[in-house]
Amino acid sequence: MFRLFDRDVAFPLSGALLQFLVLVGGGLLYTAAVGGSAENLVTAMLIDAVMVVGLQIYIGNTGVLSFGHIGFGAIAGYAFAVLAIDPARKGTVIRNAPWGLDEVQLSPLLAAVVAVGVAVVIAVFIGLGLARSGAQSGAVSATVITLALLFVTHELAINWTDLTGGDRAGLSFSIGDTLQSRWPIYAVLLGALVLARLFAQSRSGRLAQAAREDDLAARAMGVNPQVQQMVALLFSVAIVATAACLRVYSVGNITPKFFFFDYTLLTLVMLIVGGRKGISGSLLGVVLITAGREITRRLGTTGYEFFGLGLDGTIANVVFREGLSDIFLGLAMLGFMILRPSGLLDDWEVDQWLFRRFGRGDDTRPEPLPETVNIEPGTLKATDLSVDFGGFRALTSASLDARSGEIVGLIGPNGAGKTTLVNVITGMVQPTEGHFGINDRDLTSAEPYVLARSGIVRTFQNLRLFSSLTVRENVEVAARVAEVHRADRVRPGVDALIAEAGLWEHRDRRASELDYGNSRRLELARAAAMSPQFLLLDEPTSGMSDAESDEMIEQVRHMAATIGAGVLVIDHDLNFITGISDRIYALDQGRIIAVGTPEEIQANPMVQSAYLGSAAPA
Amino acid sequence: MNQLIQNLVDGLGRGSIYALLALGIAVIFGVMHLVNFAHGELITVSGYLAYWMFISGVTWYLIAPAVVICAVIVSVIIEQVAFRWVRGAADFTLLLTSFGVHFVVEALFLMYVSASVKSFNRPGWIANTFSVGSVSVEIFDMVVILVTLLVLGLTALILQRTMFGLALRAAAEDFDTARLMGVKSDRVIRGAFMLSGLLAGIAGVFWLMRAGATSPGAGTTPMLKGVLAALIGGLGSLKGAVIGGFALGLAEVLLRSNLPGSVASLTDGVVFALIAVLFIFRPQGLITVSHAERV
Repeated sequence: MFRLFDRDVAFPLSGALLQFLVLVGGGLLYTAAVGGSAENLVTAMLIDAVMVVGLQIYIGNTGVLSFGHIGFGAIAGYAFAVLAIDPARKGTVIRNAPWGLDEVQLSPLLAAVVAVGVAVVIAVFIGLGLARSGAQSGAVSATVITLALLFVTHELAINWTDLTGGDRAGLSFSIGDTLQSRWPIYAVLLGALVLARLFAQSRSGRLAQAAREDDLAARAMGVNPQVQQMVALLFSVAIVATAACLRVYSVGNITPKFFFFDYTLLTLVMLIVGGRKGISGSLLGVVLITAGREITRRLGTTGYEFFGLGLDGTIANVVFREGLSDIFLGLAMLGFMILRPSGLLDDWEVDQWLFRRFGRGDDTRPEPLPETVNIEPGTLKATDLSVDFGGFRALTSASLDARSGEIVGLIGPNGAGKTTLVNVITGMVQPTEGHFGINDRDLTSAEPYVLARSGIVRTFQNLRLFSSLTVRENVEVAARVAEVHRADRVRPGVDALIAEAGLWEHRDRRASELDYGNSRRLELARAAAMSPQFLLLDEPTSGMSDAESDEMIEQVRHMAATIGAGVLVIDHDLNFITGISDRIYALDQGRIIAVGTPEEIQANPMVQSAYLGSAAPA
Repeated sequence: MNQLIQNLVDGLGRGSIYALLALGIAVIFGVMHLVNFAHGELITVSGYLAYWMFISGVTWYLIAPAVVICAVIVSVIIEQVAFRWVRGAADFTLLLTSFGVHFVVEALFLMYVSASVKSFNRPGWIANTFSVGSVSVEIFDMVVILVTLLVLGLTALILQRTMFGLALRAAAEDFDTARLMGVKSDRVIRGAFMLSGLLAGIAGVFWLMRAGATSPGAGTTPMLKGVLAALIGGLGSLKGAVIGGFALGLAEVLLRSNLPGSVASLTDGVVFALIAVLFIFRPQGLITVSHAERV
């Protein structure tokens, strides 16, 4: 227990504090070394850091590339400026502001609270839209929807002159009314870092990351990615909006281009250079890009005299010129995408590194799982399932049933419809006809994640792990879903399952680093962590040696017994299936051609002919 | 009624340009799964070529083919310099790579030319109209529409009748299988970028004739229109891209002439918002291309 608290709360909190101290301390040291001229640069960097942390919460955890976050910044920035600028000054620019806003003045704090509130409310609607569009990692539709937000706010900022002061004038604070102290920035930065680190380690954060790694596998583990993405979006927008208020308040004015493409590019480059999946990486990006931009800006304007480099001649003239800092940003984005798309630090976090070294608590190999907890009687029943793929009939009125505690095999040559049958029963393919359910509960048109929560959990033929998460985190995702949605079941411990699958030595390795056999075993452990009533295994031994297959048979048996699940296992390997199953269904060309004990199936002439073709006795 | 006909012609004229751009984007998406947010840079670069030729006293009859050739060459160069290194990468990486190219090209012109807009004369006949009954129609729109139809027809012919077209369509359907069947991926991808550049070049000629100017950011608007049109049609569907282009052009013109005065200046924003709404309800675009994931 201590261990989890340390990993997910105590160390992340200290990590956030450490990151805060390094960033702020570094800024102060730099200012002390260079002099007062560096103050604005450091202030801007700190505000950019808040902004990037805000972006990271959404983009980093969900993998959805949003171009709209700076649009939320524009909304909050304008709301803040309109509410906080004193009426005398506003009257000269936006005399006809709607709703009498030209006469309103709130304190900066109150104005910021309202501005953030407005942005978050709009984010709810955008989030619903994104959810409806099925946003997932790398989805273009999500990028375009968010890009639309950026453009629409920009056009409104230009054209709604009664509120925004238009393209030229914009809105500005009176001199002396702007942010005079850095304390608000410090407070917001620390708060943002704490929130971001805690979120990444939280249940919601982990489930979002799982969906980022593999949307379909996450759904199959009972995760509804849309919910987690919405949570991430709201936190993220709240921070971005706060940063926007700070930016407007510290610079003292806002125009339409203040929160548009240029700033979107800057913050995105900062996010990806260091590593978008972690806060440590994102902050490294902020520092590197701030420094790089400052250096290239100076090189661009003062040319080769800068740093006393004494460079002269044609090459210097070609490279050191105005615009160098713009091209630096573009090249940084391009270069990192080509050479190191996951950034310098990837998802490395300083607090997790410290935890692995100094974390306290028990980390010894757990006791083996006790065999057979009370089996909850239940029947998975499918009746007359048919599937048409645009004229091709993959499945023709297939019926089967399986009871808890029983291992049922499903066998057939390639293309017989085995995977289609599993896809139907896990909600990934809608049947054209027929229905299925557990006991008397019909589940025919339920979403995959609903089916998983109802107790039908699958593995995949072509391995779908959450590849950048560790072995333990993979199993934890399922366990954390089960904690809520399978609360009434006896659930095996995460560590015990990992040990059971023979992965104890690999528990802190990334899933992507596992070899093939271990990956298969991890899929099995992850599915078992959902504590399913029925476990559907799609070719669990494909690509394994005979010895590994035999070991797998034992593992499947034992796991099923410990969680009290019925198992439906698919394979085209007759030996494996007959070795593991209590009962077998044989499928050929979309039809169930035989059912019986392993001996009966092996002796069945139709099965033999399906397998061996014309060579078998007819 | 007359107004409506004029709007239709105007909309089809714009839509033709969008269709050419969208088709180029869809062709590349087919072979690389890349949404090319750098597509507009082909117009930026050839725009500067057009400007340079114009101030050297060259006529539009020579500028036009030069622009097309330039777009083809730049398209291939961008593929060689940037996109070939991220083949097969995650969607997230592909998206940001194409944005990266977009920003780099823009910054190059900022750095080495100037931030200011460079203007050149449009061809003299561009504003001429002719009347059919009481409807007056811009000659330019008619030229654009006719040339586009011709180009689309030729493209369809290439795609249907040549080995390259077959390879390209096969690759768009299922790139891995196409490779196993002996389609040379290098050659198909380079061919796709050439075709895409060619289409962008033709669209670019029309775009530049109408704009009469270029600037470092000049490619952004045509890029967005092209990407949106391709997305409306359903990425990966070549037919969809063309339909999406015409639909976008018509929608813009009809909205502009029918929105109330105070909102008319927001037309682009309204169109963008409508497209966002479309994606919310049909993220796969108007024409569904089934790319069912195998599980």
